[in-house]
Amino acid sequence: MNRRTAIGILTAFGLFAAFGLAQSESPAPQILTVSGDVPSPLQLKADDLAKMPRETVSVQEEDGTKVQYEGVPLREVLARAGAPLGKELRGRALASYVLAKAHDGYQVVFGLAEMDASFANESILVADKRDGKPLFGYQGPFRLVCPNDKAGARSVRMLETLEIVRLRK
Amino acid sequence: MRRVLLTLSRVAFLLWQALPVPAADGGQTYAWNLPKGFPKPYVPADNPMTAAKVELGRYLFYDTRMSVNGKASCATCHKQELAFTDGRAVGIGATGEAHSRSAMSLVNVAYSATLTWSNPKMRLLEDQAIVPMFGDHPVELGLREGDGFLPMLRSDPKYRQLFATAFPAEKDPTTITNVTKALACFERSIISARSPYDRYHYGGDDSAVSESAKRGEILIFSQQISCFRCHGGFNFSDATISESNPGREVEFHNTGLYNLSGPFSYPPPNLGVYEFTKSGADMGKFKAPTLRNIAVTAPYMHDGSISTIEGVLDHYAAGGRTIDSGVNAGIGHDNPNKDRLIGGFQLSARDRADLIAFLRSLTDEAVLRDTRFANPW
Repeated sequence: MNRRTAIGILTAFGLFAAFGLAQSESPAPQILTVSGDVPSPLQLKADDLAKMPRETVSVQEEDGTKVQYEGVPLREVLARAGAPLGKELRGRALASYVLAKAHDGYQVVFGLAEMDASFANESILVADKRDGKPLFGYQGPFRLVCPNDKAGARSVRMLETLEIVRLRK
Repeated sequence: MRRVLLTLSRVAFLLWQALPVPAADGGQTYAWNLPKGFPKPYVPADNPMTAAKVELGRYLFYDTRMSVNGKASCATCHKQELAFTDGRAVGIGATGEAHSRSAMSLVNVAYSATLTWSNPKMRLLEDQAIVPMFGDHPVELGLREGDGFLPMLRSDPKYRQLFATAFPAEKDPTTITNVTKALACFERSIISARSPYDRYHYGGDDSAVSESAKRGEILIFSQQISCFRCHGGFNFSDATISESNPGREVEFHNTGLYNLSGPFSYPPPNLGVYEFTKSGADMGKFKAPTLRNIAVTAPYMHDGSISTIEGVLDHYAAGGRTIDSGVNAGIGHDNPNKDRLIGGFQLSARDRADLIAFLRSLTDEAVLRDTRFANPW
């Protein structure tokens, strides 16, 4: 096998691996799923989020653009599903995390303590509006906004699923 | 009610499109009239924007007397109808000398963190203007200190009036410094924000772009294709700054366009940031230009070596370009400096059509015809 053939095979494998991920040319579904190791899994629509406690955060993007996102604090969404927060977030529960999955397969992780009021108390938002308008296209209908993250990589766009994982029970 | 609101938003958007820049206060102020989603550009403190300087800059930009032989102006390589590029692989100067790189678009150049394809130190249009005016390698406009350029400006009644209005506090405003300031102001004024994509994304007009273009936008910002990592934000370039974030660190990218054997993996003299740092890690690294108006700025890449958008997609889909024969033969995919984000991807025929539809939706026909940016002579 010569070098170019080997490279070709590896490239083809890489392309197959990439293609094997979720394809994302279609808009994300209008439902946010909260699942995993929680007593009350949820299927949330924009109407459901509209009835929950809401916050607005201002974010300056790297190019200087200033935008306002509106939505529900992530801790509120997780609490509604019964994730261990507040007084329950102690001991083994501290080894729990949220796996946020995007429509295109992108995934990031948050420790539960990051957003709990007794710990880091981060204002991570499940946003459904940007500058007063519903999120659409590559942003929506739901996305995470992490205003205190220096990089934007955990502000997951086209958010589809929040999966709670308890490593120790 | 929704339809009424939508109509009102469209009317507001159209009104914004039609608004001229008012020349209030004797041209000593400037109104950007930026749409929602566009931040105010960074402007150096010693050269604030004024309508009078923008107008002077426009006359200079299109004046072929600003070249050694009267055959070229800035507009020779930066034609409005081509989004201020020239349609050539590489620029051709007043004396016929070829530049080694492709003329970059000047549209939204006000937002560019750095200027030219790969010079990390060139951050101000005022400084950059000196290069085509007086540069020798290559000769672009071919001006020389002490030639007849400034005397020509001083003897022309139109320029006497324009300089006096643009720099009212100066006794002799006709200087090279002020020429560069005026050119910079004119260039900063060329803002593209009226494409079908803008009407869709910022103007609330869902019908402004096709469903194919909407799918293409999602693809551009997807994890699989990831064009957004270098071409993201409102200006579709990671080398974008604005007034509120002028000091952004700029990343340059080796996209695997070449992989030559020998001391340089890219063909000289276009070695990217390496030309300025002499660091091997900077070999082949160039700026990610804006994607706005990309459909009218062919040919592509720093050296104009890819003639079509389809060819550019092929290059990125393969994770680098393979050149089978000739002096530039090599497998760009294997360039040791290649950006780790250039990994390759697979496109279906529909994906490809969607991406191209999206890229075409970024063409701002208004900026290509706007009389504020046209030849005043």
